[in-house]
Amino acid sequence: MFFLQITGGSSGISGMLILGTLGMLIMVITIISLLVFHQRRVIRFNKQIQKMEEERQQMLLRASIRFQEEERQRIAADLHDDAGPLLATARLYLNENLIHQEPAIQLQSIFSAKQIIDDTIQLIRNISHSLMPPTLKNFGLEAAVKDLFEKINGSGVINASVRFHDNRERLNDEQELLIFRILQELVTNIIKHSGAGFIHLTQNAQGNLVYFRIHHDGKGILQPDFDKLEHHSEGLGLKNIQSRIRVLKGKIFFEIDSTRTYYKVTIEVPRAVGK
Amino acid sequence: MNEGIGFYLQTLSSSYFLILLSSFTVIEYSFICYFIYLILPKNNIKKLIPYIWFGFTLFAFIDFFYINKMKSFDSFASGIESIIVILLCVYYLFTQIKGSNNLMLYSTFNFWVIIAFLILFSGTLFLYLLTDSMKKDIHFQKLYFIINISFNILKNILLSVAMCMKTNDANKLKPSLPNLDEDAFFLKNS
Repeated sequence: MFFLQITGGSSGISGMLILGTLGMLIMVITIISLLVFHQRRVIRFNKQIQKMEEERQQMLLRASIRFQEEERQRIAADLHDDAGPLLATARLYLNENLIHQEPAIQLQSIFSAKQIIDDTIQLIRNISHSLMPPTLKNFGLEAAVKDLFEKINGSGVINASVRFHDNRERLNDEQELLIFRILQELVTNIIKHSGAGFIHLTQNAQGNLVYFRIHHDGKGILQPDFDKLEHHSEGLGLKNIQSRIRVLKGKIFFEIDSTRTYYKVTIEVPRAVGK
Repeated sequence: MNEGIGFYLQTLSSSYFLILLSSFTVIEYSFICYFIYLILPKNNIKKLIPYIWFGFTLFAFIDFFYINKMKSFDSFASGIESIIVILLCVYYLFTQIKGSNNLMLYSTFNFWVIIAFLILFSGTLFLYLLTDSMKKDIHFQKLYFIINISFNILKNILLSVAMCMKTNDANKLKPSLPNLDEDAFFLKNS
């Protein structure tokens, strides 16, 4: 800088000033151009991610539709294969009544028909319960979850317990059904795949958010596993969990505790506005 | 404010003018340093800024009173100020590229202010360096006027653009998940 101040004549220094200023300007323009170029790349990358997210949404939607179709097929099969033959048999017994006029045979066939009709009623009740648990409908999520866990406990395979800490303000019916389905799916997965000895469910609330956390001591999955399985696995279970979570506008976290002994699955659900 | 003070200084008598002009360099530098200090993410360079500020202030003081002996324009201090500000601005832009996935970089207030400083100080670096030795030259005076005014106008336009931008609060941290593991959460909320 000292050199700049003492060398050259008037025109030389003016030239130096112009050149120096131009040089600095070119440097700044280069920096800004690089910045713009980089920013565009980031934006493009983000658009790609957005596109992938849309594709994922589509995949979830397709999975949801497929699940619905499979569920319908299962109900149709149950009705066709179980209820259909039972009712046909009952009809047969009643028809026999018209042919045989002896009271003893008539009584026998009426009794058989009654038993078959009772079985059919039970079958239809089972199908109906699998579609919508009556405890959930009549007594709410807490009772339904406790009922589910009692049934699991009763099997003697696994020790299951539930604790609802703050259920003074209930969620709406739709939310309760979705949460019940998610919990049901999670518990089924834990029983089927983790080899856990116990499952403990805790419910809590903070502000507008309701939390459900399942602890188990089996072999669980973590968030990256969930994200991977949800994208790539053939099974519908995890995809359904994710699509239900989306409908609830909630979040799901798969973690392991600091001692690496228990796996935790936490569901965070905001209460719906205007029940 | 900057322009107003500049014009006011020129109306004062020569001895006061030089003292105030040197003070103006230090004050301007202090404000810019403080602004960059506020917007930089926490790292070692941020920690260095107060020391750089102190070092420059001390240097400007020594330059004015002991080297220049209050007789001429503080070209050297202005040049050093420009170089430090340019480096800090480039560093700020580098941190934005490197660390963040901020997609709204162009629509932040900080970005446009930094660009304004970067252009102003890059454009006037050579001008201030040569001012002291060439202040009597008429051709240089014309150039000084054109370059200084042009870059000041450009700076003011960019600062106006910055004023139009809203602060970006998209990266505010979301509240973390409460501890649901044990009854502490329950006791706290019941």
